[in-house]
Amino acid sequence: MAPSEPESMTPTALRKEGADHFVIEWGDGHHSVYTWRHLRSNCPCASCREEKEQPVNPLRVLKPGELLAPSAVSMPRVGRYAYKIVWNDGHDTGIYTLQYLRSLCQCPQCLQTKGAATV
Amino acid sequence: MQPPGPASQKFELPNIQYLVAVASGKGGVGKSTVATNLALALLKKGKRVGLMDADIYGPSIPTMLGIGDVNPQTTSFPIERHGLKAMSMGFLLGPDKAAVMRGPMVQKYLLGFLTQVDWGQLDYLLVDMPPGTGDAQLALAQTAPVAGVIVVTTPQDVSLNVARRGVQMFRQVQVPVLGVVENMSFFIGDDGKRYEIFRHGGGRKLAEESDVPFLGEIPIDPRVAECGDQGEPVVHRYPDSPVGKAYLALADMVDQQLRSGSQPKELPEVQL
Repeated sequence: MAPSEPESMTPTALRKEGADHFVIEWGDGHHSVYTWRHLRSNCPCASCREEKEQPVNPLRVLKPGELLAPSAVSMPRVGRYAYKIVWNDGHDTGIYTLQYLRSLCQCPQCLQTKGAATV
Repeated sequence: MQPPGPASQKFELPNIQYLVAVASGKGGVGKSTVATNLALALLKKGKRVGLMDADIYGPSIPTMLGIGDVNPQTTSFPIERHGLKAMSMGFLLGPDKAAVMRGPMVQKYLLGFLTQVDWGQLDYLLVDMPPGTGDAQLALAQTAPVAGVIVVTTPQDVSLNVARRGVQMFRQVQVPVLGVVENMSFFIGDDGKRYEIFRHGGGRKLAEESDVPFLGEIPIDPRVAECGDQGEPVVHRYPDSPVGKAYLALADMVDQQLRSGSQPKELPEVQL
């Protein structure tokens, strides 16, 4: 059979932490932390990606769901390679692959690495 | 049969021991022929086998099993033929109708075939995949408990270059690749000589570079096409032919791969 995914892409536990945070423990020992807002604003679905490419319209009328602080209502598994996030604003088309979730990590170590990479 | 409601999340199929996809990425390499004959070979090995046609746009299984016009309003599915249980869009549409639909409807029909058809207890459910790496493949990978995928290729580079993408696709979605089968591998002439009509060795090369087992070579035999068109697959009609024996050997390899390998690990559930 094909070699399995490396431990860095194998989550061992995923849980909510407080009202605003989400944590993933990975097989290589890494401890990822995210804010719900960060995950919501980085939704990978086609419509969110397209919206991000548009210039910001300061006169845009906000939708009612955007007034809520984002948080996940549920996070069902998608096969063995991703999770879908169902948001409290009703949005549910984003499929977050394990690689993508790992890349969005906001832990101090990852933020420092990303900061160094952009210098 | 009606298409089911909204596409469901991951589901279990406790009545099916191994759900195995037969795929390629490439069209025309013989996926349906391999799926059908492998299913019959597994049957000959004493397994309880189902065959699901996931090619919604171009269903081949009804022809390959010799199942003619079916009245979907009065027929119970799956249909049994040659000891196999089978399901196909071809049973719902008839031979002169096209399935004109986009991806979400394709997904709904595939999930319906898996969850609404009474397959009973099966050792194997083989799923004959359409070409490509899109809707049907994703629908299966996202929701069904796929034990593994067999990738079919023909020997030449033009096939390998696409089959390679098929392997990568299943890797990306964490579906175990059981191995590569090289179809139309060679032809033995009346003179006893071996002719490599579509070149040779590509399947083994793909398996090696992908670090997956090479499951075997299936020779070219005109009886394969003849039997497929007549609805009596070659393994059923000519089990002792070289091509029949090749499929029986493939069945042994696939069974051994699944029994000796570990079950793929499911992702942990999220605690919210």
